[in-house]
Amino acid sequence: MSASPVLRVQGLSKSFQGVPVVQSIDLDVHKGQVVAMIGPSGCGKTTLLRCSAGLERPDRGFVELEGQPFGHERHGAEIRRQSPRQMDRMRPKVGMVFQQLNLWPHLSALDNVVKPQVVVLKRTRAEAAERARTLFTQLGLSAKADEYPYALSGGQRQRVAIARALALDPALLMFDEPTSALDPELVAEVLAMLRSLASGGMTMVIVTHEMNFAANVADRLILMGKGRIVEDRPARGSVK
Amino acid sequence: MTGFDFSLIADHSALLLTGAAMTVYVVIVSFVLAFGFGIVVALLSFLPGAVPRAFLSAYSIVLRSIPFIIVLFIVYYGLPFAGFHLSALLVGILALSFYKSAYYGEIIRAAIVALPRGQFESARAVGMSPRQAFVHVIAPQLVRGLLPPSTNMTLTLIKESSVLSTVTIGELTYQGMVMQGATYAPLECFAAVSGLYWALCAGTAWIAGRLERRAGLAQKAAIDRNPLAASFLSFERPKVRR
Ligand SMILES: Nc1ncnc2c1ncn2[C@@H]1O[C@H](COP(=O)(O)OP(=O)(O)OP(=O)(O)O)[C@@H](O)[C@H]1O
Ligand SMILES: [Mg+2]
Repeated sequence: MSASPVLRVQGLSKSFQGVPVVQSIDLDVHKGQVVAMIGPSGCGKTTLLRCSAGLERPDRGFVELEGQPFGHERHGAEIRRQSPRQMDRMRPKVGMVFQQLNLWPHLSALDNVVKPQVVVLKRTRAEAAERARTLFTQLGLSAKADEYPYALSGGQRQRVAIARALALDPALLMFDEPTSALDPELVAEVLAMLRSLASGGMTMVIVTHEMNFAANVADRLILMGKGRIVEDRPARGSVK
Repeated sequence: MTGFDFSLIADHSALLLTGAAMTVYVVIVSFVLAFGFGIVVALLSFLPGAVPRAFLSAYSIVLRSIPFIIVLFIVYYGLPFAGFHLSALLVGILALSFYKSAYYGEIIRAAIVALPRGQFESARAVGMSPRQAFVHVIAPQLVRGLLPPSTNMTLTLIKESSVLSTVTIGELTYQGMVMQGATYAPLECFAAVSGLYWALCAGTAWIAGRLERRAGLAQKAAIDRNPLAASFLSFERPKVRR
């Protein structure tokens, strides 16, 4: 069990309107790894993340989370689609931080983090709030707990989105261009936070254009092009 | 026969108020049913597949192109024909609710479509089922967008309920006609009826205004505390940054 990769993608392909966007991707991400994914615009990075997070059904291929099938199950030669309910149960294992963050504007920062714990993991409000406050303290958000999302800076919103994902104790965190919507001075802040998550042992896949980050924090660098992985090599960060 | 006789209205005020009470009853029940069915219709329209889509567009086109009075007659005369014998009041309420549900459904659908798609996705990504995502993330955000058009639609509902007088339901218009039959004073009768409809509509608009203010309040409080936030009320990412 412990030998199973946190994320395993096998032969994953996805087309939109007949145009192949992701083609026969194989990828294993092991516990504690920090993978930076880089590639030109439109090469399928977001689509690969979305398929891995079960937000998009791949046309072909398999996804496994900690050794458990996610989306499709193999029974000998037969391939069975999992029910939406089965997939919903697995989803909290993957924390997804969207490029647009998608915080819920009608809830305070704290409630953005509390709500999924209560609804999905059935934690009590008190437990959930305690977990949220602990995360907010770690992420330097304590003073902002009661603010609504639009009253927060870009970097603060980013941290709320990360706290929302972390609160569900995911096995894997995935980020889609976490710095692209930020002011340059906030980029360093977010990179520092990703670095501290990495040193805390969090398994992460990060789509980024920050070569600086890829070189210094990631253990592994994946270059994508035209829907395929064209290079997969250790990054300099791996010698940290 | 000269002059406007207020005493006629005073003499028949009990009758008119009974009618107004019936109108309030019919409107409240029809509103709840029509809005509830409207939610179902709006959600159905997001299901994939040609069958629900074809059914819904037929439903919407038919209901929205037939005058309510005709829908009412079809239901009123059609149900007994099909073996259902319901009271006129029940038939009237069902017809009105059914008719209005097409309109409320359209409003609700538009409000959902106006939300950024990422809202539903982020709810799904944390493991919420579609139903949980709707209840906890989508529905609360709809309230503000839904209030103004629903208010207009409900004012129309109040006025359209007068058509129920044609199938002997003792609502306001019906009682106005009863009064007219007894007094032969149409001007007094229908002036009084108009006044009561105005009062019902004004009351509804007032309640809606209060709800609107309350729905906006939580967000307004947060905005007031933060001048930066006030500058992009619309939740859009500001385009220019300094
Ligand atoms: N839902 C969709 N429907 C149709 N086409 C899509 C959809 N999602 C993505 N595509 C197309 O698939 C291709 C890859 O998109 P994707 O978002 O995965 O690229 P990306 O590598 O993340 O690019 P970027 O760096 O610009 O974010 C693009 O050409 C895009 O237009
Ligand atoms: Mg992308």
